[in-house]
Amino acid sequence: MLRTRFEWVILIIVATLLGSAWIMMSQEPATAGSSLLTLAEAPIVGHPAPNFTLPGTVGQEVSLHDLAGQPVVLNFWATWCAPCRVEMPAFQQASVQYNGRAAIIGINQGEAAKNVTDFGAEYRITYPLLLDTDQQISRLYEVRGLPTTLFIDADGVVREVVIGAITPAVLQDRIERLLAEAGNP
Amino acid sequence: MLPTLPLGPFIFPTAGLVIIFGAWFCLWVIEKAALRLQLDAQATYTLAVVGLFAGFLGARLAFVALHWPAYQQNLIGILWPLTSGYAPLGGLATGIVAAFFYGRARQLPFAATLDALTPGLILGLMVISLADFLGGPGYGTLTAVPWGLSQYGVRRHPVQLYELLAGALTLLVWWRLVRGRRYDGQLFLTAVAVYSATRLFLDAFRDNTWIITNGYHGWQLVAFAALLLSLLLLARHDGNQ
Repeated sequence: MLRTRFEWVILIIVATLLGSAWIMMSQEPATAGSSLLTLAEAPIVGHPAPNFTLPGTVGQEVSLHDLAGQPVVLNFWATWCAPCRVEMPAFQQASVQYNGRAAIIGINQGEAAKNVTDFGAEYRITYPLLLDTDQQISRLYEVRGLPTTLFIDADGVVREVVIGAITPAVLQDRIERLLAEAGNP
Repeated sequence: MLPTLPLGPFIFPTAGLVIIFGAWFCLWVIEKAALRLQLDAQATYTLAVVGLFAGFLGARLAFVALHWPAYQQNLIGILWPLTSGYAPLGGLATGIVAAFFYGRARQLPFAATLDALTPGLILGLMVISLADFLGGPGYGTLTAVPWGLSQYGVRRHPVQLYELLAGALTLLVWWRLVRGRRYDGQLFLTAVAVYSATRLFLDAFRDNTWIITNGYHGWQLVAFAALLLSLLLLARHDGNQ
């Protein structure tokens, strides 16, 4: 143990100098964002979201790359999944509230187009419901349970993966955070 | 690494499970630490429980308050689902205030109680690191070191495992210092100094850390402030001895 005041003073000075130097050395360079270019596409936080193209219920095809420049919320769901049904109105409300500023995309896991269309009509869903009939995109995104929701920023980077139902407030909180970061609050 | 844990027909989020069992383990450790420091173990344990539950409720209520328009039309949403939607700083403040006033009401010795809470708090931070490693959003910077973890074609520092080692080192220091402690609060301040110093060093290896203006790591500055404050208080106490 330190015994004298002198030893304490030396320790505090050394800690101050080393700490300050380390903080300066750890400072992120202004071009830190360019490191994203080295990362492979992956469905985990920090990596560019894997691209996909899927057909929707009304025949249109949607590609993730086409949505670049705005935050994207990807919601994996199924009609038989009770928590998915509970959170669906929140996604619908968000799609109206953030229309043109953020994209809400529902990806149905492995069900027939008619079931998904009927469900969308029943719940008055107006945002794109895409058909992942062979579950290839669910596997690509390593979806282990429904519902699973990914928040992707305007640069196409996965920012958060939420497994389980989310509330309207959480959805709003995350979208607004991504919009603020993109300079579009 | 392992975001979900399938158990039979159910799938559980690993981070949530780790935090639930970790909280129980932290409370158990706090009770044992209080016994070892010859404090009122029951009262110290209850103080920790009060802080934990107040923190949980506070984090939820702070989130609800911040997003009141979204809950105004859906009051049941405040209670369900409880798996998402927390404001950590609100929880931290509420937990500290509740534990402080409970300690005052029970007339627990402030500094000695902090000494007993220390291993539980450090374990709590270790639990958060483990949950982050298994199913959280954190990850380390790119590296070529042989112990780096390969994930999606790139090798990264296992920064959460480093944090676990930092916590283990702090617990070891606490354990070694118990017999030789000279005043109440010494264990807490020493643990804060050791853990802050290690986190100050390790945060440089975290890739998605909290960045403030000019590219500085926010948590490094917090750790640096905690380190200097704890060293100053330790020096002052030693001078008074």
